[in-house]
Amino acid sequence: MAWTSSHSWLASLMAPTPLALTIGVLLVLSIPLFLHFVIYRSTTSTTLPTFLLVGPSGSGKTSLLTLFERGQPATTRTSQTPLTVELSLPLTTPAASSQYRSAADPSTQFHKKFLLADTPGHGKLRHHAFDTIIKPQNLKGIIFMVDAADISTSTSTTGAAGNEALRQTAEYLHDLLLLLQKRANTKTSRAPPDIPVLIAANKLDLFTALPAPLVKSALETEITNVRNSRGKGLLDSGIGMDDIAGGAGEEREWLGEGGEGKFTFGQMEESNVQVSVVGWNVVGAEGPDVQGWWAWVGENL
Amino acid sequence: MLDGFEILTTSGVVLWSKSYAPVSSSIINGFIKDVFIEEKVLPGASVADDASASQNPTYKKEQYTLKWASVKDLGLIFVAVYQSLLHLTWVDKLLDNIRIIFVDLYRDQLKKPHTSVVECDFDGYFDQQVKELEGAADKNPQRAPQVTVNDLTPPSSSDNGIEGLPPPLPGLAAVSQTGQLKKPHNNGDSTDITPVSTPDTSRPTTPASHILGGKAGPKSRRAKKAMNAPANASSGDERKGKPKKDTGKKMRRWDADGMADDDDGTVLDYSIQSPDEDGMHSPEINAGIDGIDMQSAGTRTGKGQYVLKDLDSEVHSILEGANEKKSQSASSSSGVVGSSLGVISGLFRNVIGGKVLTKEDLAKPMRAMEEHLLKKNVAREAAVRLCEGVERELIGVKTGSFESVETTIRTAMESSLRKILTPTTSLDILRSITAVTSPSNLNPLSPSPRPYVISIVGVNGVGKSTNLSKLAFFLLQNNFSLLIAACDTFRSGAVEQLRVHARNLKELSARESLAKIDLYEKGYGKDAANIAKDAVSYASSNNYDVVLIDTAGRRHNDTRLMSNLEKFANFANPDKILMVGEALVGSDSVAQARSFNSSFGARRGLDGFIISKCDTVGDMVGSLVSMVHATGIPVVFLGVGQHYGDLRTLNVGWAVEMLMK
Repeated sequence: MAWTSSHSWLASLMAPTPLALTIGVLLVLSIPLFLHFVIYRSTTSTTLPTFLLVGPSGSGKTSLLTLFERGQPATTRTSQTPLTVELSLPLTTPAASSQYRSAADPSTQFHKKFLLADTPGHGKLRHHAFDTIIKPQNLKGIIFMVDAADISTSTSTTGAAGNEALRQTAEYLHDLLLLLQKRANTKTSRAPPDIPVLIAANKLDLFTALPAPLVKSALETEITNVRNSRGKGLLDSGIGMDDIAGGAGEEREWLGEGGEGKFTFGQMEESNVQVSVVGWNVVGAEGPDVQGWWAWVGENL
Repeated sequence: MLDGFEILTTSGVVLWSKSYAPVSSSIINGFIKDVFIEEKVLPGASVADDASASQNPTYKKEQYTLKWASVKDLGLIFVAVYQSLLHLTWVDKLLDNIRIIFVDLYRDQLKKPHTSVVECDFDGYFDQQVKELEGAADKNPQRAPQVTVNDLTPPSSSDNGIEGLPPPLPGLAAVSQTGQLKKPHNNGDSTDITPVSTPDTSRPTTPASHILGGKAGPKSRRAKKAMNAPANASSGDERKGKPKKDTGKKMRRWDADGMADDDDGTVLDYSIQSPDEDGMHSPEINAGIDGIDMQSAGTRTGKGQYVLKDLDSEVHSILEGANEKKSQSASSSSGVVGSSLGVISGLFRNVIGGKVLTKEDLAKPMRAMEEHLLKKNVAREAAVRLCEGVERELIGVKTGSFESVETTIRTAMESSLRKILTPTTSLDILRSITAVTSPSNLNPLSPSPRPYVISIVGVNGVGKSTNLSKLAFFLLQNNFSLLIAACDTFRSGAVEQLRVHARNLKELSARESLAKIDLYEKGYGKDAANIAKDAVSYASSNNYDVVLIDTAGRRHNDTRLMSNLEKFANFANPDKILMVGEALVGSDSVAQARSFNSSFGARRGLDGFIISKCDTVGDMVGSLVSMVHATGIPVVFLGVGQHYGDLRTLNVGWAVEMLMK
């Protein structure tokens, strides 16, 4: 009987030697620690709170991103791909998540980290932004950049179709808000988290720029127009062509309260979308001034 | 001379740039939009990794020419901007070299996630390359005529402005001094390190200087002296800083003296003139010239020499390394053991993902994809180019985990189709009409209301009149008053057909008390353009909101009929020209779309397509893609049936799903 002898490997393996005990204790202690570091650390890094930068091309999204990252805006060109950057909130801006901490709490001295995702604004490339909203990962807010100087030039003598820039901006914003509303109205067991929207009126340093309240009203009026003409427009080809599921297909949705009357951003609160308009400038003679945007980011972090 | 050089990421951040002259940012933004996003220049020819800059199409905008190279996996674009007037043959080489050097130096930084910052101190490398390549180009005798242009432009370009030189005397003075101005011009390009010198020594033998000398010849000595004096004065202060320039200055003064003594056309040939003039100084000068000539790469005095040498060798080692790598990768594909192992791991990776795609991996699935597209009635040309674009996009890309090559290609093709079909601007026709017919009265500068003109063109029998009446019905429902102009004065029965439609629609609108609709007809045989013009003026005097113009069908290869379209577009000046195309048509759709798009003259093109008979093709909606791909013009409406209400806008998601099914 080989296994009963004291020199048998099996016996020695099972014997309560100090070595075996030490190894066992070490394993028991280290595995939880190991798991903690591997799993916990890796997951936190992927789910940093994210803010999404959207807006029409040329409104200054990438400039704002570089400004937040470096402290001064870099030269930028038309973007073709999205870019995500890890940023930290400046110490002077309080984050909403630490509002219950005391001022002496040492953790308030740490920078709050978050991700800022820039998306291309060109008409053909907006699906990047919409994809992010449809499948958000810890999305805390959306910053919609508006070129306040561009949309104010309604005195265009050449433009037969009125103010083209304002129209494009309003249409993009309309699509975005409609998507958010649809998202809020989907019937799921867990209500989707609120996504606040900041309409950042950029380029206020320019002479022709509209102040933030005027930007707000201009966009509201224009979105009303967009909504009206969408309502009167044709069905699109995806509906009713195949007639698979009972003819109607998916019902059309209207932005705001049933698509009647004048649209205001206040109507979006019904779908838990808070819209605020803040104006500042990324570049300017007296240097960039984006304190208001930082404050908004802090409030929603 | 280069006007600017930029290294930027596809996400839009400029990593490094150097500008010799101010270039408006709209130039490069327009370049990105046209070449990469809208693919207007050459569809599918976007980010191509291995292609050198010379294979990428040159982009011209305003007075600039842009050449570019790109690195796909890092998302980098290298752009060189210069005046179209110049022919800088070395720019391609410069782009390629800079691309290799930049990627080699900063690859690690570029791969870092979640940041846009790349710390790069690239000026030295760039200047070294410019100098080297430019020097090589200048030595080449073939390039002499281009040097002439090069030299004549600086006074007007901003090189002088950058250097802070006072502008030279206008007119003749500027011309006769061009020889001397070369110096500051060349110095201005490379401010950081010791400047180039080769051009000076090589120039006296070029035809350029002979011409210049000849021009200078007939003038009186005094005039020449007067002209030369300010040149020396103006460039002198700038010359103090750098040691090398002293030789240049001496040379220049000698030149002036030489000219004073001898007003022959060959005065600029310093090497002959100076020894006659002064025995003491000439050996020194000659030595200086020789030295410059020999060490054209730029070993100079003192500190500058060391820096340059170092940079040179570093740059050359990088370039050689890249070349070696290329040749290695070319040869490494051989070897039995290696290849069989590669095949096994390749199969494995195909299942679990994480495979780096090569051209060989893609060849078979791409062919299958092409077949699939052809079956969907996509024209061959469009299908091939789409596949090429996707292939180029995918080579070198790692497949996702548990993703086969086929799925990767599928997703890439889907996104590429989506990109093509998505319109650049909004196609909301109702809003455009409202903006024209009732402009906001708040704004005093807005134009007075006028009717909105839509004209419909197309090949025979595609359903122009039918779609026009559908459009009319849609507009009537939105309470716009309509005037239909029957400009098909050619085919018998065309006017009667429209009359029937107009009568039906009139009845409908009367029943539902909608806006008015009328037909404007002038019978057969008249000139269509004139009728269209009359119809528009009639509509504006009778307060119609929209004019819909029906035209005669014409074969796109019938040049006589197609040439009428230009006159038509000028006379009627439609706000929108829509082309009706059949969903049934196959590969001909590309030619149709192209020739109609180009038939309205240089300033005008199509504004959109109406694809008719979509209900007859099922999921074979390929002609939609072919037409949009050929022209970059969006699809505005789809005709999906026989009734007035069977008009739809395009849902891109639906179309892509149909095509990929």
